Amino acid sequence: MLVRNTYNEFIKIIAKPRSYIGLGVLTALIFVILFAMKADGSSFVSFVTASFEQTLSFNGNILNGNLIAFIILQMLIVHIPLLVALVTGDLISGEAAMGTIRMLATKPISRTNIVLSKFIAGAVYTLILTLWLAFLALIVVKWMFGTGDLIVLNSSGLIILQEQDIMWRYLCSFFVAYLALLTVSSLSICLSAFAENSIGPIVSTMGIIILFTIIGSMDVTVFDSIKKFLFTTHMASWRSFFEDPVKMKDIWQSIIILVVHNIVLVAIAIIKFNKKDITS
Amino acid sequence: MRYIFFSLLIFYSLSANSQTADQIIAQLVSKINLVKDYSVKANIKADIPMIKVLPVNATIYFKQKDKFKVISKGIAILPKQGFTDVSSFLSNKNTYVAVDGGLKDLNGVQTHVVTVIPTVENSDIVLAKLWIDTKNKVILKTDLTTRGSGSVTMNYVYGTQLAFGLPDQITFTVDIKKFKMPKSISSDINNSEKAKKSKSKIGIITIKLSGYLVNKGISDEFFKKKN
Amino acid sequence: MDEPIIEVKNLSKKFGTFEAVKDVSFTVNKGDVFGFLGPNGAGKSTTIRCMLSLIAPNSGTIAIFGKNLANHRTQILKNIGCIIEKPDFYRYLSAEKNLEMFARISGRDSSKKEIQEMLEFVGLDGRGKDKVKGFSHGMKQRLGIAQTLLHKPDLIILDEPTTGLDPQGIIEVRNLILRLKTEQQKTVLLSSHQLSEIEIIANRMVIINKGKSMIEGSVDALVNEQDLLLQINVSDYQNAMQAIELEFPALHVKHLHGSIIEMALEKEMVPKINYFLVNKGFSIHSLEPKRKLEDFFMKIIQE
Repeated sequence: MLVRNTYNEFIKIIAKPRSYIGLGVLTALIFVILFAMKADGSSFVSFVTASFEQTLSFNGNILNGNLIAFIILQMLIVHIPLLVALVTGDLISGEAAMGTIRMLATKPISRTNIVLSKFIAGAVYTLILTLWLAFLALIVVKWMFGTGDLIVLNSSGLIILQEQDIMWRYLCSFFVAYLALLTVSSLSICLSAFAENSIGPIVSTMGIIILFTIIGSMDVTVFDSIKKFLFTTHMASWRSFFEDPVKMKDIWQSIIILVVHNIVLVAIAIIKFNKKDITS
Repeated sequence: MRYIFFSLLIFYSLSANSQTADQIIAQLVSKINLVKDYSVKANIKADIPMIKVLPVNATIYFKQKDKFKVISKGIAILPKQGFTDVSSFLSNKNTYVAVDGGLKDLNGVQTHVVTVIPTVENSDIVLAKLWIDTKNKVILKTDLTTRGSGSVTMNYVYGTQLAFGLPDQITFTVDIKKFKMPKSISSDINNSEKAKKSKSKIGIITIKLSGYLVNKGISDEFFKKKN
Repeated sequence: MDEPIIEVKNLSKKFGTFEAVKDVSFTVNKGDVFGFLGPNGAGKSTTIRCMLSLIAPNSGTIAIFGKNLANHRTQILKNIGCIIEKPDFYRYLSAEKNLEMFARISGRDSSKKEIQEMLEFVGLDGRGKDKVKGFSHGMKQRLGIAQTLLHKPDLIILDEPTTGLDPQGIIEVRNLILRLKTEQQKTVLLSSHQLSEIEIIANRMVIINKGKSMIEGSVDALVNEQDLLLQINVSDYQNAMQAIELEFPALHVKHLHGSIIEMALEKEMVPKINYFLVNKGFSIHSLEPKRKLEDFFMKIIQE
């Protein structure tokens, strides 16, 4: 029954116009960046290398597909989570608002399976969004801008990664980025189990992300002990694949924390939905 | 008589020395001018604080008097100044004064130290100190002080192209000012590590050169074209 | 012997401090068309939602098909079709798609042909590809009935199924329910405000009020405990009244309006009154026996 209802959930997601908003906005955002890079990318690159350019000159194809793909991935931090929550935040509460949750809950399918099928469908939607992002960033952008070494600017300085050493990093980083977006999806679905309208969970998800991001960025000792447990702290852990050497320990820690978040959020949603009196 | 002899000897010695600085430079410049253009394969290794980069292969193109182009598959870091500045600067003798700094031993080779002081106001080079191997008429070391890029020291090693005065290896030692990271770009907003400050104030770029193609004729258009 | 399909015992449910259902008990037997009556806010919806596991009761037991609902929920729901209040569908999907989706998780696969036939059955043939957002309330109600019956359940629970239907629609639903009972031996639990409908189609009923079950039993037996009300449209009603009271002193006749008189009597007396008036030369324009379910209902809920 889980498989059947998950299939139903896919049909619902595919049929809803808002599912395509995320894909459309993502595509538009990326093409805006590409247009900007084409028009004036060199000044952007100068901004990155400005501190070094008094003494050094950087030769070669700096403004290449790999750099632009990196810039696009940076968007993950704020923008794409909203596009995910827009669809996944509606999965349970949207049905409560529409009244169909009542119909669904009288079918011979356990409430746990109802919630799990929504999580799975949400996870697949998030995966599609991530794969689309990867396709645009890694294939379309490279077709437009060519390929080459990648300059990455961290707080520890500048790293230049050689072209042949980049693709595996991107594949790994997209995996970790997907895990981060999956956590956003799980959070919004969990909040959706508590609400009776669509907007609440979506706005709450974004509010939590913004709040946690701000806490994570504040250099205040009182927050130090909780920072590492905030999922937003680990949403940018995909960047660690572009360090040299790659800090695998940190990355594994991030993966574990994100996976734990997902499990806990799913569990909370299942418990809540099982106990819920459906009066709508 | 002895007194006159020794006075004349000192006078001629001094005269010989002041002429020697200009002559040395002139000999150096005429050797430099043997090369109208060249292309060479380069392996560039940069060891610079706060920059991590693996050695990169590139092809360097040069044409008199200051056309310079680097083509590399990857990103190659080169010093802003030092490649063509010295030869270009020395080619116009009206813009500087050369002062003989005497003989100095450099890595077992006797060199003439010549200090070149620009006489024009808008010169980017403030001071150039050259260690010249007068026997082979090549520069073994340069200490360059520039207005915009600080100090650059170049050490040259010659081999196959000594006849043209083209080195097999150049080692650049550059001044590294305090690099500042634009925070909005690094977006390491969750990185609690403090930015590392480099103790070292210098960076070293070593370029190994091989496969020179000298005076084969490179068009001016080539240097204008983007890669 | 009657086989109980639904057994509700001492069911209670509180929402905060408000007691929506208190100690409700009733039994629905196999083949019943069971009327579930009560005024607004009596606890009917809460009770039905408890039976369908939409709401968890605070105490009491619900057994359906002889199995405890709490322990055999999935198995039980496979054999139940229901409409709770207004049927809601995915507005952005077509009628066909909605039925397919619900059929997929109803425990019995339904082919495209069966779906088409069901749409035809409820009067929505040709509308299968249309999106539900363009449907009227009546059309959604029909689609709700289609969704209820598609997987051929043995127990059908209908909460106000005729709401929003036109008179023809109401008759069709009524006939459908009767056919389900007589032709397919389905058990139907029907919650309705239309007392006349309950009277026509239900054989057993329970009345609940303020969260409590007031009375349960066979409709006929409960209603026939009370006298019949006979309304007669008769010429010269004043003399007719006098004549009846003279012949049948136990009867009390009252004038309603126009030439209509009314009296309460046992149903066996109806032909006797008819015969008497005709023999006395009165012209009878109409003779209408009215069951007093409405009165009975009002009496019960006021207790």
